[in-house]
Amino acid sequence: MKTNILNITIALLISVMFFSCKDDVETTKVNSLEGLIKLEEGYAIGAAAKVEVWGKKNFFMGYNNLTVVLLDSINPTDTLKDAHIYFQPLMTMPQTTGMPMKHACPVENPNEMAMNGVFPGAVAFVMPSMGGAWNLGIYVHNHKNDKSATVNFEVTVDNPPTTVMSVFTSQSPDSAKLVLSLLQPQAPKVGMNDIEFTIHRKASMMEWPADSTYTIEITPEMPSMGHGSPNNVNPVHVGNGHYKGKVNFTMTGEWKINVAVKKDGTTVSKNVYFNITF
Amino acid sequence: MYKILFFLFLVFMHLQSNAESLKLRSPLSDTVKLREVMVVSNIPLDDKDILNFYRTNQFSTLDNINARLGGLSLIKRGAYALEPQMNGFSGGQLNVTIDGMKMFGACTDKMDPVTSYIEPTNLKMIKLKSGTNGSENGCNIGGSMDMTLQEPTLNTKQSNFASIAFGYESVSQSRNILFSTGLGNKKWAWMADGVYRKTENYRAGNEQIIPFTQFEKTNVHSALKFSPDKINSFKADILYDMANNVGYPALPMDVSLAKASLFALEFQRKAKIQLKAKLYFNQIIHVMDDSKRDSLYLLKVKPVGKSDSVYMRMDMPGKSSTLGAYFQMRIPWNENNHLTIKVDNYSNYSIAEMTMHMRYAGFAPEPPMYMQTWPAMLRNVAGIYVENSTYLSPKLVLTANARMDYNVDNLQSEYGQQQFSIFNYTLEKVQGKLIKSINFVAQYDFTNDLTLTTTLGHSERMPTIGERLGFYLFNAYDGYDYIGNPYMKTEKSNFVKMDFQFTNPVIKINISPSISFLNDYIMGITDFNIQAMNFYANGIRVYTNVPSAKLFSTDLQLLYTPVQNISAFWLSKFTYGEINHTEVMPLIPPLKNIIAIQYQKDELQVQAECETALAQNRINSNYGESKTPAFTVFNIKGAYGFTLSKVSMNFSAGITNLFNKAYYEHLDWGRIYRPGRSLELYLKMSY
Ligand SMILES: [Cu+2]
Repeated sequence: MKTNILNITIALLISVMFFSCKDDVETTKVNSLEGLIKLEEGYAIGAAAKVEVWGKKNFFMGYNNLTVVLLDSINPTDTLKDAHIYFQPLMTMPQTTGMPMKHACPVENPNEMAMNGVFPGAVAFVMPSMGGAWNLGIYVHNHKNDKSATVNFEVTVDNPPTTVMSVFTSQSPDSAKLVLSLLQPQAPKVGMNDIEFTIHRKASMMEWPADSTYTIEITPEMPSMGHGSPNNVNPVHVGNGHYKGKVNFTMTGEWKINVAVKKDGTTVSKNVYFNITF
Repeated sequence: MYKILFFLFLVFMHLQSNAESLKLRSPLSDTVKLREVMVVSNIPLDDKDILNFYRTNQFSTLDNINARLGGLSLIKRGAYALEPQMNGFSGGQLNVTIDGMKMFGACTDKMDPVTSYIEPTNLKMIKLKSGTNGSENGCNIGGSMDMTLQEPTLNTKQSNFASIAFGYESVSQSRNILFSTGLGNKKWAWMADGVYRKTENYRAGNEQIIPFTQFEKTNVHSALKFSPDKINSFKADILYDMANNVGYPALPMDVSLAKASLFALEFQRKAKIQLKAKLYFNQIIHVMDDSKRDSLYLLKVKPVGKSDSVYMRMDMPGKSSTLGAYFQMRIPWNENNHLTIKVDNYSNYSIAEMTMHMRYAGFAPEPPMYMQTWPAMLRNVAGIYVENSTYLSPKLVLTANARMDYNVDNLQSEYGQQQFSIFNYTLEKVQGKLIKSINFVAQYDFTNDLTLTTTLGHSERMPTIGERLGFYLFNAYDGYDYIGNPYMKTEKSNFVKMDFQFTNPVIKINISPSISFLNDYIMGITDFNIQAMNFYANGIRVYTNVPSAKLFSTDLQLLYTPVQNISAFWLSKFTYGEINHTEVMPLIPPLKNIIAIQYQKDELQVQAECETALAQNRINSNYGESKTPAFTVFNIKGAYGFTLSKVSMNFSAGITNLFNKAYYEHLDWGRIYRPGRSLELYLKMSY
């Protein structure tokens, strides 16, 4: 009992200290690369820029948050803060007969102006490297010298132990090929969690635009016990192909989130689900 | 059988003390006694006259004693740890205290009422008060049960003693050993008492052995008293109780360990103004265990990609610790007025967790599933109680009492906070609430023989931690998973009680009808929007305040002594409950009678007892109830005492359930038959 009271007191003291330090934290520069590892680096020679690609872990099939850092190739201590960056992923799949098949995948290109000195964006790899070879091209238009060039990385895209992306053909008359990625929760906990998806549509081999015309319904389930959870909030479109909602977990363990993607009220997905274990 | 004896004495003492109260009319007499006699059923277990008698019955459990008390019934989930129900109230609706000390069970499934950690041999007295008037130790609506611990006596003939007793019951091969010893001089006194019990599965009246009715327990209590002078005294108590391997046939799991320890320090000053101060700490650890159960479940619906049979085990430990203190003053502030003031504070910390381990036949184990069924919570309650008795005339005494408790619930577990976000609650970490109780009691003597006592009261009670923050608590009675409501309102009661007492040397009668009008009554209401967690659960019930409920209760106690050696006793208890004027309140016992005849001559005692209950057909099937048939059970017992070179011996033998009847009572969960015919033997040696 005493220890509990003591714990509260300590917690209160710590929180007081924390709040009093908060101002200092905000004035110091946020380290935008904290928790990230450098996945690739190379030179976009014509643009006089050194390109670094940072991420939480190696590339995987799914929605990858990628942070690009641009450095002046002559003076590498100088970070470039104003540039156009385009992700140009390309998969080459050798075919048994004829020409190899080539296709891209959905991307979210960074803003022109760096955020806290870096360029966050995303690439949603639609398959792992097993079926072919992924090349991640990064086109850089350096606004400092108004020159542009592309750097190419041969990357390995892993097949993650738990699936976080579903690529399927829509059960609608247009038979669109859809890419459904699970972005959140990344650190699931018991209780209410944010859940976020993206939907991209394959317009052609090279164009995979975001699509806001679908609705998503989620049904979490604990398959081992056969129960679900109450008060989940179906994701709604919030912009740029992103859909956000809430998912509830009543306990730790293995959860399955059944997802129905709908167009004009009709389900166009078939048996799509994601497992979350914690 | 000893039950009968005990019961006889309870009734006898009850009526006796009432009789005495008639003589204690002087306002100068002891307030304690007056107050208690007026509104309390007082059971002085160590009264000199019944000392020997009581000792011969020491090996009955507290449950056996409770079953014989007016107004009390027992909710039974197994052979051990029966939960007291008073006039239809139970759990958080009752104040169960030990010498005014608060203690709370650590089981989410109510497998360990506080009474399961106390043995009769630890006790000197049990004080019962019904309805809202039981709020001396905390605001409450259903009544109070305060158990006073045995204490060592200074420098009397009884200071130095030692006794040991052995008991055996054939139906469960129950072996019991009790001991009690004490030492004392002018200033110091010490005593210790304890019990060891071990029972196997019992046999029911239909010769069937009921599995999971075994238990084993050890209980030790010791007290040390120091009195520097006649007025002041200091006392320290230690109580330790441990039960192992306790079966609960009506529940899906058993208990591997239920352990309580209690420490108390007390100061008393018995001058004109009486003072009492107490500081205490107690802790309960409760570990449930389903390892001995058939843990293979066959599923109605086969999960995709799994088999339809699953092995399941649950780890469910619970812990409850309470630290508290109180200070009490009794002041006779003028000739006709006696005032009692009590201030108290306690903090209770409770947590219960559940981890489920599942494995589908032919598959690798599932990842463990964890939740906090009682998220860690610290509840602090600070209260003040004031009572005044006024002697208006030699025939009329008026008493008024009031209590205020300030309750602060501090949710310690962020995990618990997150858990409840599922139900769209944003949980405040700290919730404070002021609750109140007020009562008026008038005692009027119409004649020397006839007394009427009327009680009027209003009180409220805090919801328990389970009712506030319980998270998927499986209730084996109705088969639902229960969920708390963090913003539950207090439960309120308006209470009226009449006590008629008629006393003359041949016949003593006590009739005490009472009615409680309840508002914001707390009960589980089915929520179809939430899915049950357990695959064997019927659904989800959320604790909810329902607008109104009513509980009516009446007891009849009668003692008839036509000739000197023969007495007859009769106890009837009846309760009637309804919810919202229409629905039947579940778990209400039918009319129950206990009739006993006792013959006593010198050192020989013989008794016969008949226990009957009517059928209970007034049931609420939504809450898992089904009809219970009537039953009649007979018990007989004889006792004989003699002295063998300074050692006094007491031998008794009896047969309970003489006709080997297969029966169960309405409050028995799982409709599991009670023990069949049993031979009981008991031998006590004391020095
Ligand atoms: Cu339990």
